[in-house]
Amino acid sequence: MSVTLSVNGEERTFTGDPRTPLIDVLRDHMRLTGAKSVCREGFCGACTVHVDGEPMVSCLIPVGTLAGRAVTTIEGIAGGGAQLNAVQQALLDHDVVQCGMCFPGMVMTLSAFLETSAQPTRAALKAELSGNACRCTGYERIIDAALSVTGQEVAAP
Amino acid sequence: MTDAGHAEKAVMNFPRRDAQDKITGRTRYTTDVGGSEVIHAVLLRAEVASARIVRLDVEPARRMPGVRAIATADDAPGLYGIGIADHPLLARDAIRYHGEPIVALAADTLDQARAALAVIELELAPLPAVPTMAAALAEDAPLVHPDWKSYEVLAEGSVRQGNVAWEATVTRGDSDAAFARPDVTIVEGCYQVGRQSHVPFEPRAAVVSYEDGRFHIHTSTQVPWTVRDVTARALGVPESQVRVTVPAVGGGFGLKFDASIEPCAAVLARMSGRTVSIVNSRREEQMTCLSRENAEIRIRSAVTQEGEIVGREATVLMDCGAYGGEQVFLTSMTAHTLGGNYRLGTARLSSRAIYTNTPPNGAFRACNGVYNTFALERHTDEIADAIGMDRLEFRRRNVLGDKDLGSTGQVFEGNVLGPMIDRMEALRASSGDRKALADGRLYGRATTVGTWFIFVGLSAATVNLNSDGSATLVTTGVEIGQGTMMQALPQIVAASLGIPPEQVIVKSADTDAAGRDLGVGGGRTTVSIGAASVAACEEVKAKLLDVASEMLQTDRSELVLADGRIEIAGRPGTGTTIQQVIAEVESRTGPVSGNGSFTAPGAVSALPGCVAGHFLDAIDLPVFAVHDCELAIDPDTGQVEILAYRVVQDVGRALNPRAIHGQIQGGVAQGLGYALHEEITINDSGAFDQQGFESYHLPLAADVIPVEFDLYEGAPSCGPLGTKGAGEVPILNVGATVACAVADATGTKVSSLPLTPPKVMALIDGRQPELQHHHISPVWVENTLQSA
Ligand code: FES
Ligand code: FES
Repeated sequence: MSVTLSVNGEERTFTGDPRTPLIDVLRDHMRLTGAKSVCREGFCGACTVHVDGEPMVSCLIPVGTLAGRAVTTIEGIAGGGAQLNAVQQALLDHDVVQCGMCFPGMVMTLSAFLETSAQPTRAALKAELSGNACRCTGYERIIDAALSVTGQEVAAP
Repeated sequence: MTDAGHAEKAVMNFPRRDAQDKITGRTRYTTDVGGSEVIHAVLLRAEVASARIVRLDVEPARRMPGVRAIATADDAPGLYGIGIADHPLLARDAIRYHGEPIVALAADTLDQARAALAVIELELAPLPAVPTMAAALAEDAPLVHPDWKSYEVLAEGSVRQGNVAWEATVTRGDSDAAFARPDVTIVEGCYQVGRQSHVPFEPRAAVVSYEDGRFHIHTSTQVPWTVRDVTARALGVPESQVRVTVPAVGGGFGLKFDASIEPCAAVLARMSGRTVSIVNSRREEQMTCLSRENAEIRIRSAVTQEGEIVGREATVLMDCGAYGGEQVFLTSMTAHTLGGNYRLGTARLSSRAIYTNTPPNGAFRACNGVYNTFALERHTDEIADAIGMDRLEFRRRNVLGDKDLGSTGQVFEGNVLGPMIDRMEALRASSGDRKALADGRLYGRATTVGTWFIFVGLSAATVNLNSDGSATLVTTGVEIGQGTMMQALPQIVAASLGIPPEQVIVKSADTDAAGRDLGVGGGRTTVSIGAASVAACEEVKAKLLDVASEMLQTDRSELVLADGRIEIAGRPGTGTTIQQVIAEVESRTGPVSGNGSFTAPGAVSALPGCVAGHFLDAIDLPVFAVHDCELAIDPDTGQVEILAYRVVQDVGRALNPRAIHGQIQGGVAQGLGYALHEEITINDSGAFDQQGFESYHLPLAADVIPVEFDLYEGAPSCGPLGTKGAGEVPILNVGATVACAVADATGTKVSSLPLTPPKVMALIDGRQPELQHHHISPVWVENTLQSA
């Protein structure tokens, strides 16, 4: 069976089992390895992509449900190439990355949230990140970076 | 230039150069290597804790579609281990833990490989299992390794017997006399902790090929040389036939401080002639995690009314699981963690690694230190309460200072912990207490101290100075997220050579390109690889200055390297560019490079006769920490909320304060998980109940708060530019501090971690019986093989 969907603005067709999770289609078939397959149970958020602009965990979406839908991955979030969006630039400027495995998912979640919520509080940002686990950073410096995108600069110690 | 001048130049918030690829999804971790050229390996793993293998037939699997290679114990006959060679790569006759690999198989696709595993015929005869350390030490306990005597011992001075895989003891002074003194109060406590799972987001994984008669292992590891050695040992091939390369590693925390599945893929690559990818599924990764070990501890102290600790006895049982692994080595560390922090009149410590039929344990950030600090600091509060002294005052009086003896009799240099306690007081005063936030809930507060030490040990570095003035640093250091390879090392090399850190290229680890190295862990990378790098830079500098001195008609001692130039000191603009000097050196003697190496300075030692069974008797580079926590407990649910967390950390010199902040925030978060909700329970089949993220609860954003911290600089250090490793130690006291604060809030004896809400409720309701370790004798010597 085959499914045609848009991935980062390009028409792509997947032929195979329609129950295949989107994460495997992206990583194994399209070799878009930016989204990370960490828990495969919907708990860690490392596999987050946008489906029609909404952040979703790609490990829980059977590819067969995506015919005609638009998927954006970390590879396509900033328009490709070496461009960074505001969230990525802030993460870079605040030097918050460690092992990096959670960051593609963090970027996808934060980018969508900050587009819709102009001046979120620290608590609201933390609540929004509840589906994105990180084993390295202890989160707070990621929150600092995200707040800076909204002009709420946090005093860097 | 003077050392102080270099050091100042090296200090900066240099951003990490791997961040851009990591936030754009371009970084290629080991798990991202794939595509049509690789085939996929899977392991048949045991589903019982203890059994004899009666029959194994892999022939049906060979006939399955896509299968390229199948390996069993016959293909990897060697035993490996740390201290004792007790570990087979694939089980041969006996199954010793749930999850133990028996067969490795590779096929064109993962689905084909899994389908083929399912038709392997395996017949097992159940054997009695040893599920706990108490069971392992019982009289007539079955032996996890009936043939323990026949194993090759790889380290001198082993003390072991039956289910005691290894024992390390300290005896200093006349303990019996100390405890018999009429003027002492004797305080005794039992403590216990469960396992902690590392959960690196990238699981253990490797991609292996066999080329020109050699294995090329591309792997997610912290220890390229260990992978090389273990693969050679397990497969019975010369070490020189194994090359290990390491790309960006997606988290380690100690889990990847040992070889694990790499040799399995190596066997299959040789058999199939194909590139073999092996990746632990998340379930496998959880179920066979080389966790922070569960431990059971008894401590007894004799203390005077003035608060002097005249005698201390302790026994620490560390569960190594089915094979000795890291725990064998870690027995040595109790002397410096539980035996650390305080001046002791006499000391008797027994630290034992115990075999059980459970998944093997391993090293986890501040390994051994985290739970020994928990036990020690809880015990310390109990002592202070017993003699009616303020808890912090008791610590002030007893913390190790300049020229004090550690438990093994080593002499400590410098007053560090005392002034750090003062700095914590100042930090608390400036941030103000958060008692008001408790808002009717139970409020508790605690301050603890901790001692860690850097695993120094061997490292090698080569620095090639390129004609464009850039330098290439070649080591086998690995970037696991800690940032050392991206920040501290280029900063150190740049400062030594007077070039910008952007101009320092850091080669990723390749055992074919650089000299031997102990690996990334224990806070050692900045210190050991840093020191080797500085030594390599010295050689490079000597070559440059010899020639520059002639070119500039100035004595070498008058020349400095700065801003990409070699100048006459104090007269900027007088000299020439580094490129010109390089060109001149190249024309005379060829390209400019230098080599450096480092190992433990070995300047400290234990008192003669104090230690037995230790891999190290004294510590070259102690690191201290003071932590403080305020928390609130909901008396109806047992839920603990952290209100404030503060850290004063001994960093030697803070090369990159922003990066250290990241390590402190992340390390404390991991410690909060350990203290409060990361729990592993082992069921009747010998398997962990927690098989993934749903049941093993990592700290999430809402569980943490911004950690307040103060970096303590200037303590003595043998590290380059006075540095100490900063990434390992932030987790050290978190369990201790939270436990002491919960004890403070509830007025109860907190003896075990993690403090999950049901456990906290049981404490509050008085339903938590006092912890007793019936398998650890109150008579210390009975907990040693010396008594046998
Ligand atoms: S891999 Fe999809 S949520 Fe964890
Ligand atoms: S940076 Fe390692 S998991 Fe977040």
